[in-house]
Amino acid sequence: MSATALSALQEGLVSCETCGLLSRPARADQRGRCPRCGAGLEGRRKESIQRTWALIIAAAICYIPANILPVLTTHTLVSSESDTIMAGVIYLYTSGSWPLALIVLVASVMIPIGKLVALGYLLISVQRGSVKNSRDRVRLYRLVELIGRWSMLDVFVDAFVVALVQLQPLMSVEPGPGVLFFMAVVILTMVAAQSFDPRLIWDSDGDGRGRNG
Amino acid sequence: MAEPANLDDLPQATVVPKKRARLSVVWIIPILVALVAIGVAIQRILNEGPTITIVFRAAEGIEVGKTFVKYKDVNIGQVTAVQLTDDYGKVEVKAKIAKSAQGLMVEDAKFWIVRPIVSLSGISGLSTLLSGNYIGFDAGKSDRSQRTFTALDVPPIITGQAGRQFVLNANDLGSLAIGSPIYYRRLPVGQVIAYDLAADGKSVQIKVFVNAPYDKYVTSETRFWNASGLDVSVNANGVDVHTESVAALLVGGLAFDTPSFSSQAAGAAANSVFTLYRDRSTAMKVPDPVARRYVLHFRESLRGLAVGAPVTFLGLPAGEVASIGLSFDAAKADIRPRVVISFYPERLIASTEQGASLRAQDEDKSKRDLLLKRLIEERGLRGQLRSGNLITGQLYVAFDYFPNAPKVKINLSPETPELPVVPGPVVDLEAKLASILDKVDKLPLAAIGNDLKKDLEALDQTLQNAKQLLSDVDVQLVPELRSDLEGLQRTLAAVERAMNSADTTLLGADAPAQQELRAALQEFARAAQSVRALTDYLERHPESALRGKRQPTRGAN
Repeated sequence: MSATALSALQEGLVSCETCGLLSRPARADQRGRCPRCGAGLEGRRKESIQRTWALIIAAAICYIPANILPVLTTHTLVSSESDTIMAGVIYLYTSGSWPLALIVLVASVMIPIGKLVALGYLLISVQRGSVKNSRDRVRLYRLVELIGRWSMLDVFVDAFVVALVQLQPLMSVEPGPGVLFFMAVVILTMVAAQSFDPRLIWDSDGDGRGRNG
Repeated sequence: MAEPANLDDLPQATVVPKKRARLSVVWIIPILVALVAIGVAIQRILNEGPTITIVFRAAEGIEVGKTFVKYKDVNIGQVTAVQLTDDYGKVEVKAKIAKSAQGLMVEDAKFWIVRPIVSLSGISGLSTLLSGNYIGFDAGKSDRSQRTFTALDVPPIITGQAGRQFVLNANDLGSLAIGSPIYYRRLPVGQVIAYDLAADGKSVQIKVFVNAPYDKYVTSETRFWNASGLDVSVNANGVDVHTESVAALLVGGLAFDTPSFSSQAAGAAANSVFTLYRDRSTAMKVPDPVARRYVLHFRESLRGLAVGAPVTFLGLPAGEVASIGLSFDAAKADIRPRVVISFYPERLIASTEQGASLRAQDEDKSKRDLLLKRLIEERGLRGQLRSGNLITGQLYVAFDYFPNAPKVKINLSPETPELPVVPGPVVDLEAKLASILDKVDKLPLAAIGNDLKKDLEALDQTLQNAKQLLSDVDVQLVPELRSDLEGLQRTLAAVERAMNSADTTLLGADAPAQQELRAALQEFARAAQSVRALTDYLERHPESALRGKRQPTRGAN
């Protein structure tokens, strides 16, 4: 879209990510520090695409056990029950509270996988040097970054319930192994979103050559 | 060919800067995550127990993910799917069994639905009220593992509990149900755990479980009987009412005991088969190894004699009537009532103090036979039909000594030997009456009558003669007698007249004779007075007879 703008990198300049000061790098192979705020300077985030890929793959791996293993084990006087995320959703839906089921479904199942898909799409599009929809893509990136922190909601609820519902021997709740994997998914996607450098989206606009980190 | 052209036109080789195939350290993270995930997966797979299929008649209260398979109240599995079988006839329940319980899934493992049971004999499965039904499990003994099972319709034995299981053969179930109590000396010591019709449909097999430590009292000679309800029986012994407990009265029950006469008794092995008797008395008296069948041929009616009626020996129960029928003797063209009895007088003897040695002889048939033979041939032991109950008219067979009975020889070698009988008391009486009548019948009444007739005729003749005589008397004597009598009458009249005149002459008030008589008597009285005075005087003065009367001077007189 705004395809003709020069990027700082193309001019051999580096902008500080912290204070936004545009400066000349100290040497070509060593960027140095920002003269104003002292933050480390990088033309693009180091190994951004590779790191993001690694983290996304790790998150995707974790996503499988997070959904298969139980996240919550409820012991009552007469029975004990282990529930996975999906089982909870189904339980909520069958017991009539479909709005709650929808919230849990969206927050715990769809958002993580949406983040993974979104980041994967961004990475692929950057690697292929796509020039289309750059603005939409960066909007998507912002959305992913914004949502990231709220994905921990499930983990928080789990932690609260486990801490509060300890009415031995009537009832007690224990975290299941699934919650650890779920937490890993959330953290890994958050870190992946951080490690992705959105500036890469615009790099393709100039000479059509992306820069692998 | 060798001349070089314009070399400057040749393209310059470019130096492509070697791309460092630098692999970021960050790749450790996905590798690590993958390793952890694979590790978890492997652990899960290794811990994964088998998924078994249980076929139920109906999935009563079974829910996917909520119904557990429990063994000894421990969860060993969970239902993962419930679906109908292909023919829609039954329900297939798939359950994931814990790895630790994998070894339990063998051929003869049992599954059933545990549901709350509230009955008169107690409440079971109370926990299912809160947790819902669960699938009960009982381990099998087989080594061959299996993955598809058919569930039981009724819960099996309470396993794990110490004790032993026994099988009872009964004619019918009576009022028993699963859970009916079993009593030993009125202590509840076990329960009925299952019942089934025997394969041939002719009896009922009842499985009972006797808890430890009471199971050791079940010996090979133990007798089980039905203690259900109120046992009212009217038999030759009278009315008998018996019950084991109020609970048994309501829900039925069984009882067992070991007869006192069985001494050496080893504990019965589990699953031993016993006979279930109708009641206690039947249980405690019957089958004895020495019981033997005998046949009795009575001469009288068997009305009132029932199968099972007691056979007594000297008044003590020593057997019972096994069957009643007729026997037909073609040679004599005779039909006789035939009574087959189980009779074991030896057992009574064996239960005496000196009987131990006799008991040892129980197995020795010939000695027993010899004893019975002597009792019958020498002592006069005979069977007799007696009335046990005058109201109901029940009969029983009594064996007693009848020394006066005609001697018999018996043969005990057949399978069912015949024992001699004597007529019953009533029949005996009839026979005596008959014999009296017979004697009366035999009297020469006709001859006596004839004689009597002759005598009477003779008497008649005599009387005729007498009559003749009397009439002669009448004719010849009476007229003379009459004239005599008339003469006599006249004489008497004359006498009467004479008397009358005498009366008037002599006895009339103014008869002269009487007056004279009176004067004479007065004169006589005075004379007597004078005589007395004279005699008095003479007594005092005897001399006066000589000297005469002297003048009294002194008051001598």
